[in-house]
Amino acid sequence: MNARLKTRSFVAAVSAVSVALIGFVAVPAHAAARTTAIIIESNTFTSLNIGNPADNIVINGDVSYLTSMGFYHYDNNLKIVPNTVLGTYKNTVNKAGDFEVKYTIAPGRVWSDGAPITGADLLLAHVTASTKFAKAAGLPDPTDSSVTPAFDSGAYGGVYDQHVVGEPTLSADKMSVTVKYDTAIPDWVLNGIGGPFPVHTLEMLAAGKTTLGTAAENAAATAKFVSDFTSKNKDAFVAMGKVWTTGYEATTIDSSTNPLLLVNNGAYLVKSVDTNQITLTANPTYNSGPALSGITTMVIKQGIGDGSPSAQAIANGDADVYQGQPTADAVAQLKAIKTATVVTSSSLAYEHIELRVASNDSTPYTGPFAMSAGQKSADLRKAFLLAYPRQDIVSKLIQPINPNAIVLGSTWALPGNPNYDHASSQVGSSVYSAGTQASRSAAALALVKKWYPKAGKGNTPVAINLLWGSPGNTRRASEAALIIASEAAAGFKVTAPATKGWGGKLTSSAYDAHFFIFDQTANPQDAQSCGTFQTNQGSNYTGYSNAVVDAACVKLQSATLPASTVEREQVIAETQIVKDAFFLGIFQNPDVTAYNSALSGVIPAPLSPSLVWNFWTWHFTA
Amino acid sequence: MFAYIGRRVAILLVILFGSSFLLYNLAAISGDPLEGLRGSTDPKAKAQIAALVRTLHLNVPPPARYFMWLKGIGGIFTGHFTLGTTRDGNPVSTYLNSAIPTTIRLITMATVVAIIMGIAVGIISALRQYSRFDYAMTFVAFLMYSLPIFWVAVLLKEYLAINFNNFLANGKISPAWIISAAIISGFFWAALISGNRKKVQIIFAIAAFSTAVFLSLLSLTKWFTHPGLGPLMMFVLGMGFAFAVTYTSTGFNNKAALRSAQAMPIIGLIFYFPVEYIFSKHPGVTPIALMFLLTIIVAVSTALFFAKIDRGPVIRTSVITSVLVGILFLIDKLMKTWVPYINTDAIHFRPIPTISQSNSLLPAGNFWFTFLDTVTHLVLPTVALTLISFAGYVRYSRGTLLEVLNQDYIRTARAKGLTERTVIMRHAFRNTLIPLTTIIVVDFASIIGGAIITEHVFGWQGMGTLFNTAINNYDLNLLMGVFFVTSSLAVLANLAADLLYSALDPRIRVVGKK
Repeated sequence: MNARLKTRSFVAAVSAVSVALIGFVAVPAHAAARTTAIIIESNTFTSLNIGNPADNIVINGDVSYLTSMGFYHYDNNLKIVPNTVLGTYKNTVNKAGDFEVKYTIAPGRVWSDGAPITGADLLLAHVTASTKFAKAAGLPDPTDSSVTPAFDSGAYGGVYDQHVVGEPTLSADKMSVTVKYDTAIPDWVLNGIGGPFPVHTLEMLAAGKTTLGTAAENAAATAKFVSDFTSKNKDAFVAMGKVWTTGYEATTIDSSTNPLLLVNNGAYLVKSVDTNQITLTANPTYNSGPALSGITTMVIKQGIGDGSPSAQAIANGDADVYQGQPTADAVAQLKAIKTATVVTSSSLAYEHIELRVASNDSTPYTGPFAMSAGQKSADLRKAFLLAYPRQDIVSKLIQPINPNAIVLGSTWALPGNPNYDHASSQVGSSVYSAGTQASRSAAALALVKKWYPKAGKGNTPVAINLLWGSPGNTRRASEAALIIASEAAAGFKVTAPATKGWGGKLTSSAYDAHFFIFDQTANPQDAQSCGTFQTNQGSNYTGYSNAVVDAACVKLQSATLPASTVEREQVIAETQIVKDAFFLGIFQNPDVTAYNSALSGVIPAPLSPSLVWNFWTWHFTA
Repeated sequence: MFAYIGRRVAILLVILFGSSFLLYNLAAISGDPLEGLRGSTDPKAKAQIAALVRTLHLNVPPPARYFMWLKGIGGIFTGHFTLGTTRDGNPVSTYLNSAIPTTIRLITMATVVAIIMGIAVGIISALRQYSRFDYAMTFVAFLMYSLPIFWVAVLLKEYLAINFNNFLANGKISPAWIISAAIISGFFWAALISGNRKKVQIIFAIAAFSTAVFLSLLSLTKWFTHPGLGPLMMFVLGMGFAFAVTYTSTGFNNKAALRSAQAMPIIGLIFYFPVEYIFSKHPGVTPIALMFLLTIIVAVSTALFFAKIDRGPVIRTSVITSVLVGILFLIDKLMKTWVPYINTDAIHFRPIPTISQSNSLLPAGNFWFTFLDTVTHLVLPTVALTLISFAGYVRYSRGTLLEVLNQDYIRTARAKGLTERTVIMRHAFRNTLIPLTTIIVVDFASIIGGAIITEHVFGWQGMGTLFNTAINNYDLNLLMGVFFVTSSLAVLANLAADLLYSALDPRIRVVGKK
């Protein structure tokens, strides 16, 4: 096209626009307070059933928490808060060899399909947790890891499974269930029945039904479940197990989804799930928990990356709430958003350093920290921990994200736990935070010099293989660099390359030390720490074995103890651990929560579901 | 020919087998799928580890495990084809089924726009070799080429989403913006049209002035909050299209083509209100498709009416014009939907999102809302992808055209006395397209592979995201599922490109044996 033509059409366009478009001035109307809250999460939804170990991820847990109500929840102070709207639980019998807990559903509670919630709905918890029941019903042995259990549940082998006696009994009015244990189990609330499950829908799904039942059909299905349960009907449980294990798997949900899968008793019901978002709408029949304060639709945008994608989504109003573990840059980006409030908090996940003291696998461990080497290794361990730059790590890597972060004095009672101050002053960990890093490193060098008199600057006689993580983990890479520099001053030559597949090498004798994160999922009597310190337990990757610690763990795990005893036993165990100088906490993982300032009620909690734990109080103020 | 294809397919199968075996084993030894669970202090973690080992066969060494996976693929012959399950227990095929359309939707648009713009700009800069425009475009192309997409995405989100949405709150363009846009536009048109100093200055002044007036009008009329074309504007634009298409397609000397093309916006103007009625009363894909079909029929009939001899070029011209006018109708309708759309609670006056591919809160069942919602979600990723991929096409088409222009047959065509337009469009441009075609075929195959970073930044759950998730979670079956789809398409596209090349270029022939 030539220039003239172009110019002409341009002029024509301009005049046409001015003629054609005479618009009216419109001002955005100020709508009433919003009733929809939008949350961003980085992982993606996979299943409606979180009892299945493979589906135990944050987003599934949040959806489950929003759509079902149990007997209790954790608050932001690690306290268990009972949900008396749904029902009650109490310890009815407590004598030697007999410990009973009675769960009672309050009358009038209903599922979203209108069926009443009864004690029968509590019985499934036993089916998915009791090995004895599975065996008695002729189902595959859940403890045999080579076969898939009928109900592929993560609850088998737990405290409940070990101590439950017989089957829970249903009361005459069918509203209560009594569970009997062979001893006063610790944390009987946590380890008992968490909440109801709509067993009538499970029966109907197993029978191939695809529509909601009538009241009579629902009642008949519940009755059938009770009779299947009492008679241990193998075929029925095989069919129900199949539904329970695979039927609730779903990456998309829409109007064609079997409505029986979506029946629940929570404040919200899943309306749809697509590749982008999960849409939850208020459950019209909800009466199993605290009433909602104003949010009638909850949307979870899934698969949104940490960092700038989330920050810009909040800034643009695409979402209202975000929680994640971003970098310092991303925190700064979030704080720059005028319409958002940013809260940094600590989760119950902590980074720690642990030293190998004995072998975990078939290869014997003879490295510098081996306990079998006596005083020499004890000195070297203490020196290594003294020279470990914990304060540096916290101030350089964590405080930019969470300014309140501190070097951990105790890992059994983490900061936020009311016992933290007492525990950290009692267990003896102050040795590792007293003075400056320079003075601690000097003390460390003195200890090393006892055995290697020439140790010092430029002479690092003690070689340490340190394991920490994969190359993509930039925070740990920075930690490793700080550690290498600081330990060199105390005579340690630390080799710490990034390692792919490092998780599988935690039990290897080739490494003298590891630092990584321990992620706590509850706050029971043993603080989930016995698995790490008791002889031959699941996350004991150091080969540590000590009679004092083992004895304390046995006490903490065998019975419900008064709070003061729990604290005393925890301190006894941790004092021994600190004395043996092989394990120190470094920092708590920082969580960052950013939310639309107009949304009120968002208070992050340290335990899962840390963001939505109090969703019923959320509401928009403008 | 068939022997050639057969041999190629056999080689491809060997390549696929070898590469998948390598990838499977490398991926299997590169990470520990149980890593996350090992750091859990939950007593149940032990059971979870056991369950994962059992379902993913982690106790089987990777080379042997590969054949268990291959057996699922081999099931294609027995009707038991399976790509296995992911570590969360869902079938890999479920994820692929939802990811493939997402990726296609995300990248097709960007690729098509990049190809059209890239070729157009490349050709213009080849024709004006060593001009200001050529240098400017070369600079822009290299600049775009070197931009990291995550950074482009952040900027686009900041300016085209967050700031644009803020701007929509009052819809007023500030004088600073108007002045800078006017200057940029002046430079652009001056560089594009070129000429002597005086001409350049005049063009600069005209372009800058018209842009400033135009934007001021848009600002004053609050056009951005109440956009629309209206019948008159559509007619004017349609006439512009008619001239432009005729010029490139046949030249203005072909009066029949020009008249036929000009008839299109006139017919459009007549049918403005009927079409509007159908759009409102019978929304949906089928009515739109039928109307496009009708448009093409009308265009062909009109062309036949105007042209008595040599009808082909006339038909082509009027069909292209009519389709462009049809697209104007769609744009007009979308603009009319804009006001009610941004007024919904779900949008709340912030129409351009930074994440996701749809908004589930919109009132269901409103076709035009859904359509517009798809468009608004596509805007940013499409612009980002177009910006960075268009540079390659610019450079490639420029280079190819320059090479073609040096060929003997171009000199012959000029010597015959053909017009410059005919030489360029018919003799040079068509030959330029041959090598470009093969590139485009391979590009489209790689589309399925997804754009890992783009999808991540914009929160789209496409193939790139699946690949990323698979790697981060050490989800071997998922990784192999993505690999299976992308690698199969890649090798097939290469085969298709080779065959296409031989079909397009008579100098090249495929033979069965060496």
